[in-house]
Amino acid sequence: MASNKKYWRSVEELKSDNSLVEHLGQKEFLEEIPTETFLGAKENLSNSSTSRRDFLKYVGFTTVAASLAACEGPVLKTIPYVVKPENIIPGVANFYASSMSDGDGFANILVKVREGRPIKIEPNKMAGNWGASSARVQASVLSLYDNNRLRGPLADGKETDWSSLDKKAIDTLNTLKANNEKIVVLSGSTASPTSKKVIAEFAQSFGNVQHVVYDALSESPALDAFETMYGQRALPNYKFENAKLIVSIGADFLGDWQGGQYSAAYAKGRIPVKGNMSKHLQIESNLSLSGANADLRIPVKPSEQIFALINLYNAVTGSNFASKPTPADAAIKKIAIQLKKAGSQAVVITGIQNKEAQILANALNEALQSEVYDLTAPRLIKAGNDVAVKNLVDEMAAGKIGALLIYNANPSYSLPNASVFNEALKKVKFLVCFSMSDDETAQKSQFVAATPHYLESWGDTQFQAAKFGLMQPTINPLFNTRQFEESLLTWMGQNKTYYQALRDYWTTSILNGSSWNQALHDGVFNGNNELKLTKNSIDVATSAAALLSQTKSGDFELNLYAKISMGDGKQANNPWLQELPDPITRTSWDNYITISAADAKKLGLENFNVSNGALNGSKVNLKVKEVVLNEVPVYIQPGQANGSIGLALGYGRSAGMQTEMMTGLNAFALLQDFNPFQTVSVEKVAGIHEFACVQLQHTIMGRDEIIKETTLDDFINKPKNEWNKTPEFSLNHEEVSAERVDLWEKFDDTVGPHFNLSIDLATCTGCAACIVACHAENNVPVVGKREIRVSRDMHWLRIDRYYTSDMTNEKAKEEGIFGTGEMFNTMTIPSENPQVAFQPVMCQHCNHAPCETVCPVAATSHSRQGQNHMAYNRCIGTRYCANNCPYKVRRFNWFKYANNNEFDFNMNNDLGKMVLNPDVVVRSRGVMEKCTMCLQKTQLSILTAKKEGRPVKDEEFQTACSSACPTGAMVFGDVNDKQSEVALITEDERAFHLLAEVGTKPNVFYHLKVRNTEAS
Amino acid sequence: MSHYEAPIREPLIFGDKSYHDISVDVAAPVEGKANKLWWIAFSIALTAFLLGLGAISYTIGVGIGVWGLNNRINWAWDITNFVWWVGIGHAGTLISAVLLLFRQKWRMGINRSAEAMTIFAVFQAGLFPIIHMGRVWNAFYVLPLPNALGSLWVNFNSPLLWDVFAISTYLSVSLVFWYTGLLPDFAMLRDRAVKPFQKQIYGLLSFGWSGRLKDWQRFEEVSLVLAGLATPLVLSVHTIVSMDFATSIIPGWHSTIFPPYFVAGAIFSGFAMVQTLLLIMRKVSHLEAYITKIHIENMNKVIIVTGGIVSVAYMTEFFVGWYSGSSYEDYTYLSVGAATGPYWWAFWSLITCNFIFPLTLWFKKARTNLIWSFILSIIINIGMWFERFDIIVIDLSRGHLPSSWTMFSPTFVDVSIFIGTIGFFFVLFLLYARTFPVIAQAELKSILKSSGENYKNLRKENHE
Repeated sequence: MASNKKYWRSVEELKSDNSLVEHLGQKEFLEEIPTETFLGAKENLSNSSTSRRDFLKYVGFTTVAASLAACEGPVLKTIPYVVKPENIIPGVANFYASSMSDGDGFANILVKVREGRPIKIEPNKMAGNWGASSARVQASVLSLYDNNRLRGPLADGKETDWSSLDKKAIDTLNTLKANNEKIVVLSGSTASPTSKKVIAEFAQSFGNVQHVVYDALSESPALDAFETMYGQRALPNYKFENAKLIVSIGADFLGDWQGGQYSAAYAKGRIPVKGNMSKHLQIESNLSLSGANADLRIPVKPSEQIFALINLYNAVTGSNFASKPTPADAAIKKIAIQLKKAGSQAVVITGIQNKEAQILANALNEALQSEVYDLTAPRLIKAGNDVAVKNLVDEMAAGKIGALLIYNANPSYSLPNASVFNEALKKVKFLVCFSMSDDETAQKSQFVAATPHYLESWGDTQFQAAKFGLMQPTINPLFNTRQFEESLLTWMGQNKTYYQALRDYWTTSILNGSSWNQALHDGVFNGNNELKLTKNSIDVATSAAALLSQTKSGDFELNLYAKISMGDGKQANNPWLQELPDPITRTSWDNYITISAADAKKLGLENFNVSNGALNGSKVNLKVKEVVLNEVPVYIQPGQANGSIGLALGYGRSAGMQTEMMTGLNAFALLQDFNPFQTVSVEKVAGIHEFACVQLQHTIMGRDEIIKETTLDDFINKPKNEWNKTPEFSLNHEEVSAERVDLWEKFDDTVGPHFNLSIDLATCTGCAACIVACHAENNVPVVGKREIRVSRDMHWLRIDRYYTSDMTNEKAKEEGIFGTGEMFNTMTIPSENPQVAFQPVMCQHCNHAPCETVCPVAATSHSRQGQNHMAYNRCIGTRYCANNCPYKVRRFNWFKYANNNEFDFNMNNDLGKMVLNPDVVVRSRGVMEKCTMCLQKTQLSILTAKKEGRPVKDEEFQTACSSACPTGAMVFGDVNDKQSEVALITEDERAFHLLAEVGTKPNVFYHLKVRNTEAS
Repeated sequence: MSHYEAPIREPLIFGDKSYHDISVDVAAPVEGKANKLWWIAFSIALTAFLLGLGAISYTIGVGIGVWGLNNRINWAWDITNFVWWVGIGHAGTLISAVLLLFRQKWRMGINRSAEAMTIFAVFQAGLFPIIHMGRVWNAFYVLPLPNALGSLWVNFNSPLLWDVFAISTYLSVSLVFWYTGLLPDFAMLRDRAVKPFQKQIYGLLSFGWSGRLKDWQRFEEVSLVLAGLATPLVLSVHTIVSMDFATSIIPGWHSTIFPPYFVAGAIFSGFAMVQTLLLIMRKVSHLEAYITKIHIENMNKVIIVTGGIVSVAYMTEFFVGWYSGSSYEDYTYLSVGAATGPYWWAFWSLITCNFIFPLTLWFKKARTNLIWSFILSIIINIGMWFERFDIIVIDLSRGHLPSSWTMFSPTFVDVSIFIGTIGFFFVLFLLYARTFPVIAQAELKSILKSSGENYKNLRKENHE
């Protein structure tokens, strides 16, 4: 039906005779459209600037614009703060002081928090040596975002809630109390005074309560020895910075020995300022990090370490205790003379896990009146008691334990007699495991009380009697977790939070009237508490005799150790640590036995490289007493004492873990009687193990200018040219420094900052803290074992480790085989007991960068500040830059490493991604990446200073690696600021550029290594 | 009437051939039906090509990580294949352009196929720099296009960019040159064609060639001009490819000898490939009368010369590296370290294939032995592949810092892509052999009366 509606265009239409209406009726527009005038004026048209081509452009543009408007980009959801939390400014990081003290890492730290997320651990400079952050401490932030963490408490493996758990716990505990049954708290060392107090109160409240401290990597013998000698359960402190002579018998004090944290002090004494450098001698079986840094290293079997200690004691004190000869005896005589000469500036330490050996070492230090051996402030960090743990297992097996509360320990995994323990667990009436993950012990527990990560927790530390630290939450608990202490408080009916308990205790017992807020702000507090030592008389002769009688030698002796990365295995689910190459073997994702080349030959064991270069090795079965460990991979280790084999603990975790991280074998079963020295039988078995080793060539192949080194004697007495000669080229028939020969015009880099990074090879211990710091700061992807194995490691910073070889250019010339295949092939073989050198290598930020000239699209180019930039968006991935890089520091994204199930690490789950640094882009597949000299950090410093209208302070410029370096070997700063630390040391006599003769003019420079090798 | 040729010169066209015979012989493969052999060869080539396509798609879809490369050896088979194919693509232009300028009449029997091979080889070569990119979809960044990406421009310092220009110029000039030569021959096919469709197609392809004197005059002029243009390209392309290595600072790459040595190597391998193809084609397409022993021997002579240059270059490289006394030179691809190190097999493959075996060509018996020529041509192509592999992989595997030394092993994908390009090459060549006049018959006819066997004999009989 036709519509009868009439639409009016204007009121004028009401008047039918209006001319306008008539006009409109005929014409659509009021005014004539000047089509004719426009199109008719041919001349105008042809003169018009809008040509036919322009018209086509407009048509093209509008078509494209119209079609583009139809497309939709991906929608990214961001949620703004409706009410902005106090102190959070989006894009601005907050730093909170806290502490890590989980028995496997002890440090006072700063936590960098962005938008409420902790993303990076920084050292707390106020805490002195305790502020140093090791690789594990640096990596701990990722463990917070571990996808395998418990989301809440469990009862019999099923989710439960806190109130029902509490009800059950309180009922059971009270019943047990009424029946006077024994309740045991089994915890790892935490060095927390408030925690101890809460446990003590708990004990009071429930009567028959025992607190057993258990460390997987126990220092119990040292504690026992100290207790015997001085009446307190503590560890001596060593002031290595005061040492002239350090003699270590099997003590890896740059690693985990006695809780670690000695590298900063050690390094202070290792800077060769005109003859002022300590001398470090190491007698050990495995090539440890400390041994690698020693000036003289004598490899001996584990049992011989013990004899060597007695022999050394005899030689120094003139005693005549019974012992046995060792291969090191000749050296020991000389060492004794040196020790006596150095007197109070000498120190002897030992890692032998035997109370008598520790007594001997302590007595020796007393005899020397060592000032390094510091009894004024003993360490309280490790408190594990092996005897108590043994007794506990017995009592459990006998059914004498009513309740067992396990906290910060994983005995089902780490006890040597874990199977006995697991059986005994069944006889415990009430078993609660306080754990962050459903680990081996948690899986066997009735109840699992999910605990928060330390970055979500309140707490405190007392590393030394007067050195206190605070731990504060830096994020709201991610999951339904509750702190161990808070559970205890709840169960004993105290109606307060752990925070209140902590604060009360600090106010009454620690702060002494100082401000809580200040202490919390600083993270550390120096009290005036003292540990009263009573000096008990000891009979060294008895100890020596006991030691000798307890020592058994064998054809093969095992020396168990802990890796820098994995420690006791607490953080085994941390991909950063799994991927961190061991500083010595440069192998990741595995543990393996280390064996000397001679022994390997005897047993028919081999290491070989397959066609893609990757390392393969034989396998063996190990047998210690009745315990057999099957199919252990073999790594042939230069410097390993003949007759000894090393094996790392901390691997082979199998519960509460992601499959990818379940690497290696659990060697704790071999740690019988908590003794890392065991006689062992080794049997070759069929099969080949595939290693993930990032360094396949171990010697420097006669290219000595790569790691320059000299002896202290030469350094002091000879002119610089003899030990640090700058390479020279001939220019106009004149020998000039290679740096002066140049193809390029000099670019003016004097305006604004110009960054340099200095690395001192004398104080770099190879501890790898920088690698993890870089990993965390720069969102470096984890690529997994398969990729590491084929040299596709993504670490922006690596620490090259070189061994010396018996074959040198000089020796080859003498033998007349210089330049022959024989020379090359023998040069690739490291010495039996090589000297070791570490060299951190990252992008050298060359001022004349070979990578920059070859990129066809100019995706990598230089900044005025000296940094070599990567424009990821521009990169098309020809990889020419990486080929042309003489330092081989560029890393290519072979695959998509984020959001890819093939790479199921932290960048593949929402939780793990929370650790990403929002200031650094996550690189896509197909682009090159590399060290940026922490561009985001330097720019932040510059902009902050600019906003505040002041020049940048020297200490503000830091890279992740330089700030994490515990020894201060890395110094970063602006060389245009002539007063900056880095500018001052560029002129140092020890300074050199890596591959200076290539003419790349790097902005990273090294200070050569000095070895204090003279017998003095 | 063509020029006079001395009777002691051996004829370049065998048998009692007339102009018509030539037309018939050349048109035969186009007009006839493909035989079984062709179909078998084509199916194999096509399968290989499809395998390669699959491997390339897989690479682009998943990432370059599916190849065997690593963070120290960032190029291996990709650029090896690239340089190898570019090298192969050198013979065609040399034969048609340089020999034209030098008035070498023997080129006429082989130049068409040599040039076709060049073009097809350059196709393969051009593929690798593109697919080796981590982000192929941004490959256009290498073109100096005005853009809205800020002030971004290509980096004219980069040899890789020079490659972009060098290869594209070479390809376009070769293509034009080749096509120009094809015009009269297409016209011949058009004129002979009986099926209207064929007639139409060849009519289009021959650009309306009418065979007028003016056509011929212009044809000759253009050929000469293009030959002049193409000749420097023969030298420039591989010079620039060699600069990918020579301008870098990697021991073994950083070498001033590379440009001439690469050009010689390219011609060496290119001739070997022409040899391989022609020896097959003359048999399969019954062209023995036109591609004679003389042709084969002449090409073998070029192979001796260029092979000799290459061998001298090897020795120079070896000596200079050793003489430098620099430990960084100890493991370059021509060094004692390489000969005794883990890549000894690659080193010795190079020496055996490129230096020792070609020495046999100093003997005329070997030079004129077709079977040996065929085997040797394949050996040389293997050797030249190893030369590029050695330069790239051995040098990168033993860089400045021993800590970064590693090795390379190809994956299934690496191998498939290489096989794929060989397949693609043969797909193109086989299609060409069935649809194009494989011998420049128009040119050949110009020497029939001077160099044809029967005419020579006639002259001999008449004591002319």
